[in-house]
Amino acid sequence: MKIEELNKSILPIVRIDKSLDKYENKVLFPEKLAQANEAIKTIGLPKKKAL
Amino acid sequence: MKLDKYELNAGSNFVVFEFISEGPQGAIKKLIQFTETTYIDVYNLAFGDEDAKTGNINDLAISNNGDSEKVLATVVAAVIAFTEKHPDAWVYARGSTQSRTRLYRMGIAKYLSEISNEFEVYGQIQNEWEIFQLNVEYDAFLTQRKKH
Repeated sequence: MKIEELNKSILPIVRIDKSLDKYENKVLFPEKLAQANEAIKTIGLPKKKAL
Repeated sequence: MKLDKYELNAGSNFVVFEFISEGPQGAIKKLIQFTETTYIDVYNLAFGDEDAKTGNINDLAISNNGDSEKVLATVVAAVIAFTEKHPDAWVYARGSTQSRTRLYRMGIAKYLSEISNEFEVYGQIQNEWEIFQLNVEYDAFLTQRKKH
């Protein structure tokens, strides 16, 4: 990507840290996940996409 | 994004992010996690502080580090990075408390002009989704990258 394109881009610069992979299969916020599941079950997604 | 934010680290699959909040309370490690719900391509966004002693993550911690705007800008940056790797993902977000949900709303409102070309943003109101509008109280938020 050219410098001008990078400046226009909203993409942040992110450094990969493989030590974070230990969290990938762990649900760190189970209550929030349960809330999200319940909300999607109840309301679904916006009309443009059906479940 | 032009807004001031913290440097982000990510795991290999861009579903877990980490950054360090710096302020009067010191350096506080924060973790952001995108967890797939029981619905395909629908992810829950949550973040919290890591307890330096126990290693536990607490999404109710009040850091008082005087950097809530910078923290929000960093979380928005994580959503951008996550959806770059997972372009079909819907991201659901709701604060741990009503006041946090209000803070999210203010954060989204602030960045809306920057992200609206790339993202559809919805607010949940009375068990329905509507296109996010300024100055409306929402219970939760949902976003997905636009298909260009």
